[in-house]
Amino acid sequence: MIQPLSGIQNTVAALDAERTRLDVISENIANANTTHGVDGKPYQRKVVVFESSLQQAMGAGGNGSMTPQLHVARIDTDKRAPLEIYAPGNPDADARGMVATPNINIHEEMADLIAASRAFEANLAVVKNEKSMAMQTLSIGKH
Amino acid sequence: MSPLSAIPQTVYNFGSMPGTDAVRPSAMPTPGIDGTTPLGQPGQINPSQPASDSFGSVLGKLVSDVNQKQTAANAAVDGLQSGSGVPLHQAVIAMEEANVSFQLMVEVRNKLLDSYQELMRMQI
Repeated sequence: MIQPLSGIQNTVAALDAERTRLDVISENIANANTTHGVDGKPYQRKVVVFESSLQQAMGAGGNGSMTPQLHVARIDTDKRAPLEIYAPGNPDADARGMVATPNINIHEEMADLIAASRAFEANLAVVKNEKSMAMQTLSIGKH
Repeated sequence: MSPLSAIPQTVYNFGSMPGTDAVRPSAMPTPGIDGTTPLGQPGQINPSQPASDSFGSVLGKLVSDVNQKQTAANAAVDGLQSGSGVPLHQAVIAMEEANVSFQLMVEVRNKLLDSYQELMRMQI
C-alpha cells in the first residue's frame, strides 16, 4: 500500500487526542454551574490524561518501522473539592444554606481551551506542510 | 558517466525527512560522495525477474492502491455524513491522501506517455 503522506500517522492520532481534550473542556464549561449531577453531587471537573507511549516507544525502539502514537489514556476527574457558596434559595442548598458548586474556574477552562485549540492548529499545520511537501516532490523535473 | 549522478544522495536525504527516522539525531552518513559506494543504480533492470514482478503488475498495483485510497476516502466521508462518529479531520485527511495518491499516479502516467512519445519521435 502506498503511503503518500507517510509522516502524518502520529499527527492524525494527536488530532484525535486534542479533539477529545476539546470535547472534555467544552463539557466542563457547559457544566460549570451544575450543582446536581447524575449522582446527585455537583459536577466534577474532568481532565484528559494523554498517554506518554510516544516518548517511551521512541526511547526504547527508535526505529522507523514502529510508529508510536499519542492517545488519550483516560479521562479522570479533578480531585479538588467543590466550591461552597451561600445561596439559601437554591433547592440544592444544605441546612446551612450552602450550595456545593462545581470546582470549575471558567478562566482556567478558557486558557485550556486556547491551549488545546492551538495544539490542534499546530497539528493541522503539520498535515498541511506534509501535503505541500508531497506535492512539491511530485513536481520534481517539471519546468 | 551518469547525467543525474548526484540524485541518489538527494534521494537518500529525502528518506530522512520528518516522520521516517528524523528522530535519530546520529550523524547522517553520506554514501556515494566519493563515488565508491553508490546507493543503488537507478534504471538497473534485471531481465530475469519473475513475471509476478513485471512492470504491468507493478503499475496495476499502483492503480488498485489509488483506488483503495479513494474508496477509503469515500467511506470516511460517508461515515462523517451519516454521523457514525468519524471525525472531520480524519475524513479530510483521507481525502487528501487519496488526492496525493491520485496525483502520483497521474505523474507516473505522464512520465510513461512522455517516454513513449520520445521513443516514437526517434529517427531510425
